[in-house]
Amino acid sequence: MTDGLKSAVPPTSEPAFDASRSDAPTSRWLWWGGSIVALALLVWWILTQMTGTAFLAQALNGLSFGAVLFFLASGFTLIFGLMRITNLAHGGFYLVGGYIGISVVRATGNFFFAMLVSAVSIMLLGLVTERVLLRPIRGLEKPEVLLTIGLTFVLGDLSLAIWGGDPTPIPKPDFLNGALNIGGFIYPRYRLFVIACAVVVGAILFWVEKKTRWGAMVRAGVDDRETVAALGINIKAVFTGAFMFGAFLAGFAGVIGGAFLTLLPGQDFEVLLFALAVVIIGGLGSLKGAALGVVIVGLIDSFGKALIPELSFFTLFAPMAIILVLRPRGLLGRK
Amino acid sequence: MLRSLSLTARVKLGLAAAGIGLGVAAPYIFDRFVIGLISLALIAGLFAQSIDLLGGYAGLITLGHAGVSGTAAYGVGYMASKAGAGFTAQIAVGFLAGMTAALIFGVMAMRSDGVYFIMVTLAQGMIVWGLSIRLFRITGAENGLTGIPRPPAVELYWQYYYLTLVVVVLCWALLGIVVNSPFGTSLKGLRESETRMRMLGYNTTGQKLYVFLIAGFFATVSGILLVYLNGFISPSTVILAASAIGVLEAILGGIGTLVGPMIGAFIIVFVQNVVSIYVSRWPTLMGTLFIVVVLFARRGLVGAISDGWNKWLHRNDAPVSQEPVLTSSNRTAGP
Repeated sequence: MTDGLKSAVPPTSEPAFDASRSDAPTSRWLWWGGSIVALALLVWWILTQMTGTAFLAQALNGLSFGAVLFFLASGFTLIFGLMRITNLAHGGFYLVGGYIGISVVRATGNFFFAMLVSAVSIMLLGLVTERVLLRPIRGLEKPEVLLTIGLTFVLGDLSLAIWGGDPTPIPKPDFLNGALNIGGFIYPRYRLFVIACAVVVGAILFWVEKKTRWGAMVRAGVDDRETVAALGINIKAVFTGAFMFGAFLAGFAGVIGGAFLTLLPGQDFEVLLFALAVVIIGGLGSLKGAALGVVIVGLIDSFGKALIPELSFFTLFAPMAIILVLRPRGLLGRK
Repeated sequence: MLRSLSLTARVKLGLAAAGIGLGVAAPYIFDRFVIGLISLALIAGLFAQSIDLLGGYAGLITLGHAGVSGTAAYGVGYMASKAGAGFTAQIAVGFLAGMTAALIFGVMAMRSDGVYFIMVTLAQGMIVWGLSIRLFRITGAENGLTGIPRPPAVELYWQYYYLTLVVVVLCWALLGIVVNSPFGTSLKGLRESETRMRMLGYNTTGQKLYVFLIAGFFATVSGILLVYLNGFISPSTVILAASAIGVLEAILGGIGTLVGPMIGAFIIVFVQNVVSIYVSRWPTLMGTLFIVVVLFARRGLVGAISDGWNKWLHRNDAPVSQEPVLTSSNRTAGP
C-alpha cells in the first residue's frame, strides 16, 4: 500500500508493441483521404434529406450545443491531463451552476452577474472537492473516479431538494432574445452568442496554454509532474488551480447552457455523457481534441435528432464505437 | 476429510453451510415482504458479483453494467408484454439480448483500460438508458413494460424465492470456478499490470473481451431474474445509479472476493428499502455512502474481517502482507 505522490509517478509510456498500428505516411494519407470522402458522402446524403437552410440551421444548432460542451469538456480534459483525475462530477457542477444562475437571475435580474456568481461558486465547490475529498486519495485513479460519481449523486439530489424537479430555463437578457435575420436566414440570437463565446474562450485558452507562464506550467505538468515539482514549482497548487478553473468553466457552462437547454434533474448525467463522448472521440487530455470533439459531437447530435429522432442518443454510439476500436485514445489523444 | 482443511477453510465451509441453511429456512421464518427483499438482494448480489468479476478480479471497473442486465430484462419484457410469446421464447430472447449487448460493449471496451474503461462503460450504460426512454414502441418509454407474469411453476412469491436462491447459488459456484481457474488467475495478472501480462504473451485484449462476456452472462441472468421478480421493467432499471449501486455494493462488501458483493448487496437493499420509508433523500445518502466507502473503507467489510481474522490467526507471527485491490495504483499509461 504505497499511497500518496510516490505512487503517482506516471509509468513510462507503454512499449509500442502494437504492430497493428503503423504511422507510416501512406497509411496516414489513406486514413485522412478515407475520412474526407466518407464525410463528403455523409454531407451529400444529409443534403438530399433536407433543404440548404434547414441544413445550416441544424449545423448551427449542433455548433451551439457543441459550444456549451466545449466549456465542460475543456475543463474536464484539463483536469484529466494534469492530475489524471476523471472528474465525473463535472456534470453535477454544470447542473448546480445552472441552478445557482437561476436563483441569481431571479434575485438580481442580471444575467451576466449570474454567470459570474455561478462560475465563482462552482469554483469554490471545486476547491472544496479537490482539497477535502480528493486530496486524501490522490494518485489512486479508480477511487478518485468513484468518489466523483458519488458526489454527482449528492449534488443532483440536493439540487432536486432545493430547486425542485420542474424543467426551468434561465431567463435570457433582452438583447439576446429573439432572432437575427441575415439575408432571409433567421436564427436565434442567443445561440449565435453562445457560439461566439465558445470561440472567444477557446482562443483565450489556446493562447494561455501556448504563450503564458501558467500555460507552460500546465503543459510541463501534463508531461512530467515529478520534474516540474523538482524545479521548484508548487505542483499541488497548480493542481488545485487547474481543478478550480475546470470547475469555474463548468459553472459558467451551467448558466450559458441552462438558458437554452433548460435545467432539469438528470441533466447532470446527460451532459456528462456528451462530455465523455467528446473526450472519447477527440482524445483525453488535449485541448485540441476537446475542440474537435465538441464540433463532431454537436453536429452528430443535432443532425441525428433531425433525421432519426427515435435514435437520437444512439447516433453518438456508432462513431464512438468505431473510434474506440480503431483509436482507443481518441482522434487527437496521445498514446 | 474435514481434518485436512485449514482452520480458515473450515470456518468458511461452516459459514457457507449456515448461509445456505438460513436461505432454505427463510420462508418459514420471515414474512412476504422480507422474502421479497431477500430475493431482490440475492439478485442484486449476483449482479454485484458479476461487476466484481470485472472490477475486483480483472481491475476493469464498469459503470454501465446495468446496461447489459437491463437489455436482457427488456428482451424478456418485450417478448412477454408486446409480442405475447411463451416463457421459453421470453427467456431465450432475454439471453440473446443480454449477450449481444455484452458482446458489442465488450468489443468497444476491450482496448481501453483503467479510467478509460470506466468512461466507456459509463457511456454505454447511458446510451441503453437513452434508448429505453426514446424507443417507445419497444420499451414503452418512461412507463416501461408492465404485465410480465412469472412462469406458473414459480408464480408464488416463495416459489420464486427458491428458484432465485438456487440460480444464484449455482451462479456463485460457477463464478467460484471461473475465478479459481487459470483464467481467473490471469485476470488478477491483468489487474496488477496489463503491460507485464502482454510481455508474458497473453492476449490481454482477448482476455478483456472474454471476461466481459462472462460477466455479461451473469449480469444477464440477474436481469432476467429481476424482471420476473418485479413483473415490470422501466428505464429506472438501467439508469446510471443502478450500475453505480452495483459497484458500491461490491466495494462496500469487499472487492476482489465473491462473498463481499453479496454481503454488500444485502446491506444496500435492506438499507435502501428500510431507510426510504423514513427519509426521502436516498440518492444523497447513497452518494454520501459512496464517498465515505471510497475514502475510508476501500477494502470493504470482508477485507476488514479477513484482516482481523488473519491478525488473530497469526497473532504470534510477523505481520501479513495484504493483497492490494482498489488500493493499488496501476495507472493507465498515456499522457
